[in-house]
Amino acid sequence: MFYYPVNDFGPVMKGMIIGGLGIFHVYLAQFAIGGGLLMSWFQWRSMRGGADGGELYTRFIDGLFRVLVLVSFVTGAVTGVAMWFTTIQISPRTIGLMVDEFHWVWAIEWTFFCLEVAAGYAFYRRGPTLDPRSRLTLLLMYSLAAWMSLFWINGILSWQLTPGAWHETHSVWQGFFNPTFWPSLIFRTLSSMATAALVACLVVNLSSRFDAEERRRLVHASFRFLAPMAVMPLLGAWFLAAVPEASRTWAMGGSIAMTMFLGIGVGASALIGGYAVVLLLKKSMTVNGATAALLIALGFGATAGAEFVREGIRKPYTVHGTLYSNSITQDEVARFRREGCTTGDPYPLRGERELPEQLGLGAHVFRVQCSVCHTWDGANGLAHLTSGWTDDQLRLNIAQLQRTKNFMPPFAGTPEELEALVQWLRWGHADKPDGWLATDDPRVIAQIQRHLDEVGVEPGVRVGSSADSNH
Amino acid sequence: MFPFDQPASTAFYLVLYLGTLVLHVVPMNYVLAGSSYLALLGVWEAARGGVSDAHQRIAAGLRDWMPFALSVAITAGVAPLLFLQVLYKQPFYTANLLLLHRWMAILPVLIVAFYLLYLQKSKRFQARPAVVRMLVSVGIFLCFGFVAWSWTENHVLSTRGQDVWIEQYARGGWFYGDRELPARLALWWVGAFPMLSMILAWQVPSARKALARVALPSLVAAAAAGVVYYFQLPADARQSVVSVGWPWLTLGLIGWVAQVALWTMVWRGRQLRAELWLGLSAAAVLTAAGVTVLRELRRLTAVDITEYYEAHAAAARVGGWWLFAALLAMNAGLIVWVVRIACRPPVDADSPGT
Repeated sequence: MFYYPVNDFGPVMKGMIIGGLGIFHVYLAQFAIGGGLLMSWFQWRSMRGGADGGELYTRFIDGLFRVLVLVSFVTGAVTGVAMWFTTIQISPRTIGLMVDEFHWVWAIEWTFFCLEVAAGYAFYRRGPTLDPRSRLTLLLMYSLAAWMSLFWINGILSWQLTPGAWHETHSVWQGFFNPTFWPSLIFRTLSSMATAALVACLVVNLSSRFDAEERRRLVHASFRFLAPMAVMPLLGAWFLAAVPEASRTWAMGGSIAMTMFLGIGVGASALIGGYAVVLLLKKSMTVNGATAALLIALGFGATAGAEFVREGIRKPYTVHGTLYSNSITQDEVARFRREGCTTGDPYPLRGERELPEQLGLGAHVFRVQCSVCHTWDGANGLAHLTSGWTDDQLRLNIAQLQRTKNFMPPFAGTPEELEALVQWLRWGHADKPDGWLATDDPRVIAQIQRHLDEVGVEPGVRVGSSADSNH
Repeated sequence: MFPFDQPASTAFYLVLYLGTLVLHVVPMNYVLAGSSYLALLGVWEAARGGVSDAHQRIAAGLRDWMPFALSVAITAGVAPLLFLQVLYKQPFYTANLLLLHRWMAILPVLIVAFYLLYLQKSKRFQARPAVVRMLVSVGIFLCFGFVAWSWTENHVLSTRGQDVWIEQYARGGWFYGDRELPARLALWWVGAFPMLSMILAWQVPSARKALARVALPSLVAAAAAGVVYYFQLPADARQSVVSVGWPWLTLGLIGWVAQVALWTMVWRGRQLRAELWLGLSAAAVLTAAGVTVLRELRRLTAVDITEYYEAHAAAARVGGWWLFAALLAMNAGLIVWVVRIACRPPVDADSPGT
């Protein structure tokens, strides 16, 4: 194992950083993908002419595309790169594994990025002066490129949760076309269409280019892109059926946080879908700017809920069955039980004061094994999670972590390291006094060893191979 | 010859990395030098009044194309960033982690710079007082300067090895610098101007003499920065540049001499005909390619790449290469088609341009 320097983000849980940025980026990317599809569709409708009013649609497309360039090409592109950098900050081993396995997929995605930028800027600069057929060609190429970037990245992200037959074969394509690939791809495509329709409504309302009747027509036309949301419940069910049993259980009531975020996602989507049904049925109704903004906020909430659940139900892994959330592999757990998880780490402890040896070791174990998901007394803080536990409870619960909470990875260290972690926690609970006696009772170490031996090094969740989705 | 003297899989990824890095360097140079040029012009205009027509045309071209150039630079930068991770993930990730928030700050700074570029391009903004325009152009330059400095800092730190990393981590500092950093940054910065001049020669051919006055001094300055940087290097790196890198050094020097010769012809009044343009372009790319490979040689004197041979071989066994090659060709063809469509005449001659 190559040790990386670990940073402390204070009271902020590291997952919140990558989750927050990820949700923001996903929403922008959805706008880019759905926006391309929406404008291609509008361009096609404008070419059909007739009562639909081609000129109105053309005007709408040119206005919306400027927004797309300013939002998606700028913030969307940079936050995409930021996802890489942030993942490095949180879990370099995870991103390293993903790059090793899927660098050609990422390289393919890059070729579509290039096409997306070329087609996008060509339309941005020349679209308004080109003939309709050329406009449609550019928009279709832009849409194809944007959607293909979703296609490729979706395979990598869904592989993290359900690697499928990759466990046995290590075939990149079996990992790519994994059990949740298709439901999440279709789901994300429909989410993109919905996002684009909602943003279009906001842009139409904010623009001075349209009168009230034109706005109503454009809003109704855009809202048709929300109609496919009707199949989202089926896709959600398909997705949940394809994930590992433990993950499904957490989302469906086993974990309060997961269930709550799933509820937010489903509830927000249902509200948007309900509003879309009413508007599509009632032709005289329209959506004003404030309502459009509210619907966009709901859409963001739905995306946030879905992304949080997708990330959360992967526990205790970052790559299911392969790499734990703390960047330790299953094979390394057994080795660290013998050799220790801190012995090979060249990076010293950082802190305001020098700690006694045992407390220093405990702090080091926390850094290596816990700090990626926990803080001391901030978000998901151990101060709160372990308050009220006695010494023996701490020893047992940490030694048999995967049994205490099956979404936790097994403890990967020696009994001495575990005892040091216990003492560090006790010291923290005691408001970090200057003096702290080290514990050196061999019976305690022997008891911890028995706890560790009893539970073994296997994870608390079942990990399958080709059928890991159906346990 | 480097990088072909490496094992097949390592050489393969090195070639991909270096090839895509050159693709990134061209628009990156345009953005870095372009923002410097506009900042300088902004200061001049605010302090001394107007500038010549030629410089105004250059500035207009730059303002118009900078947002696109930044998009291209970022997009083109994704591929070398990917292959960099395949080749040197441990040192690269470690440097990222050590610089922490300072390093991550390049992302919001890039977003700010991006929007300022669009602001700078807008017609309404052009009507603002010179001081306001100067503040924006200097702001943009500072943003890109910060990004350039951060990249250089990250790269230098990534090559320094574990002892320095441990020291840096224990210190908890978000900055790293040693004597190589300013020399290296200066070389990249002044070396960006000849590339900018070459691209602007395509965009604003009527400003050729003004461009020659930018290109020639910056070529001389880049050579001087290169010499200074060379003597800042440790002895083994200097030896490697000469003994292993001589073909690339020669290539870079040929490109440099050709650029000096061609820009001198332009400066003396020669029209910028197609063959001259093509010659300048080829020479600038040749120099960039030579310098880019030498940059990698410098890294290899500090990083033991043999440690990663096995990882490169394992990465090369992962499937997908053939599909990448096929889709790269397909999308390159589609991009050519896109450009052809964009070059079609307006459907209505009276339509206002964008």
